[in-house]
Amino acid sequence: MFLTLVGVAGCPEAPQGPRYRGAGAETRHGGGTVVIQHESTVDTLDPHKGWNELATMGVRFCMDGLLDYDHDAQLVPMLAAEMPEVSEDGKTFRFRLREGVRFHATEALPGGRELVADDIRWSLKRLLDRDTGSAGYSFYTKIVGAEAFHAGEREDIPGIRVIDDHTIEFELTDPDQTFLNALAMPFAYPQAHEHYEHHGEDAGKHCTGTGPYVLETWERGVQLEYRRFDDYWDAKPSPERLIYMENIGRRVASLRFRNGEIAAIHRQNTADYVFYKESELWTPYSVEKPMSNMWGLTMNTELEPFTNVHIRRAVAFAIDREGWSRARGGRLRPLGQLIPETLPGHVENLDGAHHLDLDKAREEMRLAGHPDGLDEEVTLLLGDGDVARIYGELIQSDLGQIGIDIKLRQLSFAAYLQESGTRNRAQMVLSGWNMDFPDPANFYEPLLHTNAIADENSQNRAFYSNPELDALLDEARAETDRTRRMALYERAAEIVVADAPWAFVFSDVKLESWQPYVRGYDPHPVWSQNYRDIWLDLPRERIR
Amino acid sequence: MIAYIARRALWGVFVVTVVVTIVFTVVFAIGDPAATSLGPNASPAQIQQFREQQGLDQSLPTQFASYLGVIPCVRQSSRNYDDGNGYCGLLQLDFGQSFRHKEPVFDVIAARFPRTLLLAFMTLLFELLIGLTLGVLAATRKGSLFDTGFMATAFLGISLPTYVTGPIFLLTFAFLYGWFPVGGYGIDFWDHVYHAVLPAFTLAIVGAATYARVMRSEMVEALRNDYIRTARAKGLSGGRVTLRHAFRNALLPVVTMVGLSMAVLVSGAIITEKVFAWPGMGSLAIEAVLAEDAPIIMGVVLIFSIIVQVANLLADLAVAALDPRIRLAR
Repeated sequence: MFLTLVGVAGCPEAPQGPRYRGAGAETRHGGGTVVIQHESTVDTLDPHKGWNELATMGVRFCMDGLLDYDHDAQLVPMLAAEMPEVSEDGKTFRFRLREGVRFHATEALPGGRELVADDIRWSLKRLLDRDTGSAGYSFYTKIVGAEAFHAGEREDIPGIRVIDDHTIEFELTDPDQTFLNALAMPFAYPQAHEHYEHHGEDAGKHCTGTGPYVLETWERGVQLEYRRFDDYWDAKPSPERLIYMENIGRRVASLRFRNGEIAAIHRQNTADYVFYKESELWTPYSVEKPMSNMWGLTMNTELEPFTNVHIRRAVAFAIDREGWSRARGGRLRPLGQLIPETLPGHVENLDGAHHLDLDKAREEMRLAGHPDGLDEEVTLLLGDGDVARIYGELIQSDLGQIGIDIKLRQLSFAAYLQESGTRNRAQMVLSGWNMDFPDPANFYEPLLHTNAIADENSQNRAFYSNPELDALLDEARAETDRTRRMALYERAAEIVVADAPWAFVFSDVKLESWQPYVRGYDPHPVWSQNYRDIWLDLPRERIR
Repeated sequence: MIAYIARRALWGVFVVTVVVTIVFTVVFAIGDPAATSLGPNASPAQIQQFREQQGLDQSLPTQFASYLGVIPCVRQSSRNYDDGNGYCGLLQLDFGQSFRHKEPVFDVIAARFPRTLLLAFMTLLFELLIGLTLGVLAATRKGSLFDTGFMATAFLGISLPTYVTGPIFLLTFAFLYGWFPVGGYGIDFWDHVYHAVLPAFTLAIVGAATYARVMRSEMVEALRNDYIRTARAKGLSGGRVTLRHAFRNALLPVVTMVGLSMAVLVSGAIITEKVFAWPGMGSLAIEAVLAEDAPIIMGVVLIFSIIVQVANLLADLAVAALDPRIRLAR
């Protein structure tokens, strides 16, 4: 204790800015080791089984998909040589594969080999096999025969056809533009069957992919070490090695980052967030962007008082989104519609978008027949955690302005999911949606389509059903013309803000910082910590 | 002796069974592990598939009986499922499969356990080295400024929780001075040891202060005894009297405490591992709780409760071996 007191009293000053700067190279060059971190651990590198952010990151270093996203969240070819030919009825997609793409040479596949169309067929078949237990299979059940194959009613999937080594065709039961998004998900990344034959149940602990880095070692819960894949089809000068440290908490990560031990950080606790945001020395190496998610108040349209559209609208216009943002130190971006601003389908200057307008909210309460407010309390369901509690109190305050008294009910995450997804149970829920893929369909359909209503585990937690909206969404899903498709979603956005089954409130904001010697990093709207394209400006020089 | 050990082992099995039953009920009965594991984006079809694969579609007693291994396996995801005829429970040494890691709980724990063992070993080493040394020094200087200062510092050490001392040490000795790594685990054995110094020291403070206080009072008591006076009268040196005679007798309560401290060590490790990003059982427990990974939570609780039972038994046996006056009940 004594030593500690002495140590704290006479300790050196903490560096306020980066400890190191780069060499000042003008052009991209390779070499060096990049060290990155995450506060949690990678569960598996089997893309059919992993579905969370970390597994995706780990997988994307060593694997590629047929399609990917650019920095505007638009689909672009990756292992596909070009975007697919789509049949006129929108049901058939023919892909031509890039030639010369090779799998890594690994223990399971000595010498590596070229990727062929059958690898894609084999991978999707494994994904759809019920025994695999993939949480992602439901994204692919529109492939002809996939549903029956998954149910064990047939041995093959006729909707996946290998035309030749470099051509593959998919046929769907219904036209569906989001199928391309599904193919860009890591679930569909092509695998080498030799990998699974060799490793068996341990396949998720290894990686045999076609990606820019080869997995060398993985000490579970500690770190994954990758080396550059020199036969990569899109080879460019890159760091020689990549170390992805797991289990490094936010505080430790921040201290290590400020010490120059970690290349970049992407999440901070509140004190560190304020430090990086206000530090002029870090400003050139930081960027803050809204995330591709949406948070709001779900109002159960089957339960009183939210069967009345005027009450729902009153709630939507009584929320002080800017006030919430101030209360959270700027860590959220106000949002007045379903689709966050980073994604296609977000409508600039949307008519009727939710915003704070107390006069309008009170007018809606009057139209609802409750000019002096509601007689009975409304129960708001919250998930666990301090932040949810803060939001709950903000809602109490905001809705108190229009005479709606809110009773907070905070539950564990498990109980919260169960309660909010069960029919006729929760009046109002603070909830959100993180995209599975950057397409408006991924927000509208699970949250607001009648098909997403279930008595238990309902994804449509507002239990909102509107045949006009359903028809629009079905049409938009099948529409191949992008301009027409977005116009349909614009109409959908107008309906939803007017009907207000949700009061849309905000998107989270993410602050990312990187070392001055880390170059080429641009936070991606779809992939978290997308460090695939960075390079290191070495040798670095210590400046603090 | 053997009868005593057998009886204690049976008691241990009973305690562990009660713990497992309570935790299983709490973990599996509250909320829906399927919905939690797959997250709010999961469709009802995905949740149903998950339930069937993990046997969550069965009643709670059936799941528990299958978990214990007294009825055939209900988890289709188990390698021992065998169309519902195989067994996959604790009696078969099958701890289940992690919802999150998608691999056997045993494998996940086996990777983490040695790391916590290293941390616990180093913590114990620090606790005993620091605690016993300071306790003996204070006892032999009873009433001095050192003794008073030591007592005050020990009181402070016991009072400060690891979630306070940990971040302070991390910031001061790792980040600002750079004497130790800023958290993490390292890449080879000696690097692991180097990385473990600061978290072990943090964990050891409370234990060392406790040992020191007990050691001091036991030593003060021991030094008053007639046999000490006799030893001195025989002309033995002060150091020899202190270490060979007083110290050995004062050690007995400490040995008991070592056994009892395992529970404290294990619970303290949960916080300390998180603070120092030490990838052991403690951080695994926190991850599992946050992800509501029920099989891992069960596995960690099971291992921790077995450790506490075994450590207590070993402590009792050690005390009996050290003190011939103690005879274990037949």
